[in-house]
Amino acid sequence: MIQPIEGAHSTTFSSDRDPEDLLPARMINELVYCPRLFYLMHVEGQFAESIDTIDGGIVHRRVDNGTGGLAPAEPCATQSFIPSADEDPAVIVPEATKPKKRRKSKHVQAATLFGDDDDDGSEAGEQEACEQQSDQDSDASEEAEDLPKTIHARSVTLSSESLGVIAKLDLAEATGSVVTPVDYKRGRPKRMADGTLAAWDPERVQIALQVLVLRDNGYQSDEGVLYFNETRQRVRVGVDEELLDLTRSAIAAARQHRESGQIPPPLVSSPKCPRCSLVGICLPEETRRLANIQQPPAAVRPLITARDERRPVYFNTQGMWIGKKDDLLQAKVEGKVVQEIRFNDINQINLFGNIQLSTQAIQTALGRDVPIGYFTQKGYYYGVSGGLGVKNILVRRQQFRLADDSEFCLDIARALVHGKIRNQRTLLMRNHREPDATSLRDLKRYAARALTADSLASLLGIEGIAARIYFGDFAGMLKVDCGVSTGGEGYVTAEKRPAFHFRSRNRRPPRDPVNAMLSLAYSLLTKDCLVAATIVGLDPHLGFYHQVKPGKPALALDLMEPFRPLIADSVVLSAINTKMVTADHFICAGKSVVMSDAGRKHFLLAYEKRMDSLVTHPLFDYRVSYRRLLEIQTRLLARRLSGEIEEYPVFQTR
Amino acid sequence: MRRIYLITYDVCDAKRLRKIFKCLRGWGDHLQYSVFECQLTDADLLRCKAEMADILHHGEDQVLVIDLGPAASRSATLVQAIGKPYSAMAAPCFVV
Ligand code: SF4
Repeated sequence: MIQPIEGAHSTTFSSDRDPEDLLPARMINELVYCPRLFYLMHVEGQFAESIDTIDGGIVHRRVDNGTGGLAPAEPCATQSFIPSADEDPAVIVPEATKPKKRRKSKHVQAATLFGDDDDDGSEAGEQEACEQQSDQDSDASEEAEDLPKTIHARSVTLSSESLGVIAKLDLAEATGSVVTPVDYKRGRPKRMADGTLAAWDPERVQIALQVLVLRDNGYQSDEGVLYFNETRQRVRVGVDEELLDLTRSAIAAARQHRESGQIPPPLVSSPKCPRCSLVGICLPEETRRLANIQQPPAAVRPLITARDERRPVYFNTQGMWIGKKDDLLQAKVEGKVVQEIRFNDINQINLFGNIQLSTQAIQTALGRDVPIGYFTQKGYYYGVSGGLGVKNILVRRQQFRLADDSEFCLDIARALVHGKIRNQRTLLMRNHREPDATSLRDLKRYAARALTADSLASLLGIEGIAARIYFGDFAGMLKVDCGVSTGGEGYVTAEKRPAFHFRSRNRRPPRDPVNAMLSLAYSLLTKDCLVAATIVGLDPHLGFYHQVKPGKPALALDLMEPFRPLIADSVVLSAINTKMVTADHFICAGKSVVMSDAGRKHFLLAYEKRMDSLVTHPLFDYRVSYRRLLEIQTRLLARRLSGEIEEYPVFQTR
Repeated sequence: MRRIYLITYDVCDAKRLRKIFKCLRGWGDHLQYSVFECQLTDADLLRCKAEMADILHHGEDQVLVIDLGPAASRSATLVQAIGKPYSAMAAPCFVV
């Protein structure tokens, strides 16, 4: 005798088996699509939205409102089904959608028979259309009283102990003792060359799992239906032995991948990758290019979007109050709204100094994975609050293990310092009025020497010497006569207006405008590297080159080394050389200089303009923004940590 | 890639009208009475349409979504104003 099933949840948790251990059918579907996708999502816990996932979510939203009731199985239904061998499961008969017809009474009836007490009288159009077919069937059956009626239950969750699988059925249609699962899909069905409709393997396997779970719960079930939302077509999926074998081996593979801790390799030039929501996390072609594997791709397809479509916000007006209204951030000064910014448009919130952000705004930001960066009024970075969570704990474990391996640390550190010096040299070559041959030659030499340094200490030494050479020539990249200089050493400084001269790097506090801007640029870049590290799942505070010190984002500082010249220094040069920031934007305060609010505003715009500008990746030959580049480079470091690639390719411009 | 959409609506009921207005404020700039200009990615558009579909009465109200092309290659004369000025902001970030 089969126990009556009262509802999804009682079914799911009534067993001895740890419910955590049951694999959701959806996961198996993803494994059949791509084993690496399964690993990234369900072992590493990474997720990214795409058009397909969002649309899928919208399609499922109404379906998921069901209560999950399904009448108990009839004892006679058990295992009585024998699949017919000659049925080809891949060829499916399309059924025309009949005109919509509202038949509320049908659902009331269904509710009493089938435990579906969810009928609130406001049926979704799609659902109507989907159920229409069966409603028509049952209309016919009403005339012939002896034929069984088709009844519906929505959003039914069932599990199978023997398979170790839990499945959520969007809709279950029961006719007599036969239950047919219906799965809602977005888009349109696959069409074969001869025009017949068919289903892809991941979807077939998902239906097979639902059928198996139904059988395990005592129902008779031998086929399922895919309902395509866009075209309103129903596609039947028969379940035969071949499909069952495929399904069972997929379940086994899922368990094995979960236990192995080894990420499956990317698919080879697959048409699936461009559609895959995780393509920016997986980096299939980039990984294959760098990994030591057979047949690396000839060219890396540009599968990642070149830019982040959302923009950072900087709040810079002292005493400002920022609240949330509907989906907007509302900035107020003295109770008056000065600006409204849509949450949908932003990817960061940054606060400089004395700014109040309401709890509601903070909650919304964190809930949307929008990090909040905190800076002092002068622009010293002092923290980021999350909402980013720990995305990939496995890579973090690997990071901690390898940070203890001094050989590994030295290896990464050498590459970082080498890259940084090379990039400094490139900046001098590109921007200096008369690049000094000796400096360029020396920088080249020290860059090479960094690669063979035998300790972190000697690397620090090399980095220091190179910095002295580079900053020694830095002034030659400033092309602005700031109007107060009379040339030579005899520049005149108006009382409160410092000139743009640069002699050496100084900080805390910076003593001239150029140093003030360099400090601010490094602060901003630290913040962005920290955010990149966190997005990828790394701990921003444990570095390989920079040593652990409380409060120091050592890994962010590691990551940013090669980008200091390319992003930060370059922004300072362009802000000055294009006169976006001028001497008027600074005030002398004792020995140091302070940037005005307006100056900071212009500088922030210059910085973000740089972050948003496109640069060609020398290894992959596609163009991405600097912001995207930071993320890609950080993901490649994570690949190096997981062992998938053998060398960390530090970014160098050509 | 973002595209520019002009979204206009004709809603018969005051409560739904308020809701549509509120919803669209989350997606774009209110240009004129019942007209919004939104710069949306494909994903944004999908979400925005789903939100509106939930609010509207499908038999009485209407929303029109007019595609004005990619935001990146927007021409300076895409929108021209007579009377009060119109300006399209395109900064790499917000500084307030
Ligand atoms: S991008 Fe391609 S290889 Fe990577 S997870 Fe997606 S489908 Fe698999």
